[in-house]
Amino acid sequence: MTTARSATTVPEAGAVVPAGLKGLLPVLLALPVLGLLEWLLRASPFATYLLSVMGVNIILAVSLNIVNGMTGQFSIGHAGFMAVGAYLAGFVSLMLKGVAISFLPEALSDQVFFLLALLVGGLSAALCGFLVGLPSLRLRGDYLAIVTLGFGEIIRVVVQNTDAFGRALGLSGIPQTSGVGMVYFGVFLVVLVARRIAGSSHGRSLWAIREDEVAAEAMGVDTTGYKVRSFVISSFFAGIAGGLFAHFVPIINPGSFTFVKSMEIVVMVVLGGLGSTTGAILAAIFLTLLPEGLRSLFTSLGAEGSLAQKVDQIRMPVYGLLLVALMLSRPQGLFGTKEIWDVLPKWWARRKKGTS
Amino acid sequence: MSAPVQVTPEAPMLEAAGVSIQFGGLKALTDFNLTIRQGDLQGLIGPNGAGKSTAFNALTGVYRPTRGDVRVAGQRVNGWMPHRINHLGLARTFQNIRLFRALSVLDNVKVACRAETLSHQEHWLPASLFIAALRGVGGVGGEKGARGGQRLGEQLIEQAGALVLQGWWRSLFLTPGFQAEEQRITERADALLEVMGLSHRRNEEARNLPYGEQRRLEIARALGTQPKVLLLDEPAAGMNTREKADLMVLIRKLRDQFSLGVLVIEHDMKLVMGICERITVLDHGEMIARGAPDEVRNDRKVIEAYLGDSYLESHGGAA
Repeated sequence: MTTARSATTVPEAGAVVPAGLKGLLPVLLALPVLGLLEWLLRASPFATYLLSVMGVNIILAVSLNIVNGMTGQFSIGHAGFMAVGAYLAGFVSLMLKGVAISFLPEALSDQVFFLLALLVGGLSAALCGFLVGLPSLRLRGDYLAIVTLGFGEIIRVVVQNTDAFGRALGLSGIPQTSGVGMVYFGVFLVVLVARRIAGSSHGRSLWAIREDEVAAEAMGVDTTGYKVRSFVISSFFAGIAGGLFAHFVPIINPGSFTFVKSMEIVVMVVLGGLGSTTGAILAAIFLTLLPEGLRSLFTSLGAEGSLAQKVDQIRMPVYGLLLVALMLSRPQGLFGTKEIWDVLPKWWARRKKGTS
Repeated sequence: MSAPVQVTPEAPMLEAAGVSIQFGGLKALTDFNLTIRQGDLQGLIGPNGAGKSTAFNALTGVYRPTRGDVRVAGQRVNGWMPHRINHLGLARTFQNIRLFRALSVLDNVKVACRAETLSHQEHWLPASLFIAALRGVGGVGGEKGARGGQRLGEQLIEQAGALVLQGWWRSLFLTPGFQAEEQRITERADALLEVMGLSHRRNEEARNLPYGEQRRLEIARALGTQPKVLLLDEPAAGMNTREKADLMVLIRKLRDQFSLGVLVIEHDMKLVMGICERITVLDHGEMIARGAPDEVRNDRKVIEAYLGDSYLESHGGAA
């Protein structure tokens, strides 16, 4: 959480920094913070796990927001790309399990191979994004939704029937080399990329496509090319998220990457506001903590054993109710297309005026 | 920007030769001819449904001509995507305003002020090796497969090249060159807003602008693409008399300042007759007259099809 905030605010505050350093400054600031975080959490596996899940969800939501929010396309197969990343990264790690770089300490050599696995996962997801996006992004609107939905299911079925990926049992024994530091480095990267794109001519081209595709095309924006590129970037980070996921859960199986997972990510993006990176982050945090919150609520109410264990099943109806409530009260999502620092000051000013 | 108006009779910037558009059995446009050179200010008029906007769409690549050729800056552009035609120097506005509504006024223009794109034409060696490999893989499936493989490879290289070379990494690392370029784009966009008298609206959302200003913003945006020919689709629609008079002055000024060729679709006869040096009249997709305003105004066919006898009584008598 801390890192995500620092990642989004630092580029704004970088005005006093020399131009050459401005680009790298957030990275230099983030690394020690992440190291500290990892060190602080070394003794509490539950917090590490929960924060890791949250981080993966943030990466998924922010990356999906690049396609669904900034470019205005509707992809509902993000879990498919996550699965590609998870399985291929996991596969690479399993293959390299016994290998170590001799001149490095073991922990460090593990991290190097982990990074390599992540990169493989991310790049193969990006390649899938390209192959899926190229034909379908030429079309408009609903077609992309249908194609991405189909893609997600195809990936799941393929994995379910491939021996190398453990069929329905999934892959187990993947080295658990991931930690909070690595997950939030991924979070940091995706937020940085999303914000930097938003602040460039590329980001403006994506917004233009979202607003009016015909006009964007007439103003010289290569709409198909930009859609494919945003899709590839988004899939890449979904693959990274999957790779991270595979390295901190004991087992990955096709059940983790179903349509329900895809919808969960879509709900995060819609809840936060289509096009708002900070909105996606907050929604991802909220929706990750929601089941935990419900669970402890039910436990404290004394509904032990029964309701508390069924939280995972009643999660989806709760999402549905949330969405309905959102559409009725604030159809544009939490922040609309704006970021938190655009919305909060105005809201604060209105509130103060109202009370005085 | 204010280059002197060149008097050399150079090649036409925009040329339509025998362009026809057919939707199924409907002939929306038949044998349409048009030539626009730098410094021209031409008009395109006709009753509703005469094919004026269809002609615009055919010229800008929204529709592909069923027959005939469209040439922009000497290039035959039949079947090109609109953005590539725009890159050759053809920009337009829309009859039903199509701004990027949720974006700020400044961002609307900045979208059009594209970065000076880096060339990614020269593929580096690994890329050509990769294409060759894909061709080889596809070759197992015969000649067709080989070509398919090559096309896929080229697409992939183009996208990767665009991501890597076309400055995406520059925006990710905020290189000094990128920051300077953003600065230049902002300055250019601000200059255009100044010309169109929209500077005071700079940071407002485009959808909150009054109608007349939205029309002007569309022109500013079109100018951002640095066109050689500007197509204006009913720029005065919804404007009051005063705004229309200002617009007439403005269109002339833009033509001279940016050394443009301009083609205007307009229903307001006073505006068209007032500024256009040459007018083309369409009816049922066919050209029924062309010439100077006075010739067109007195053309029997034009009066019957479009202007009507009442127009002749109120204006023709005085002429």
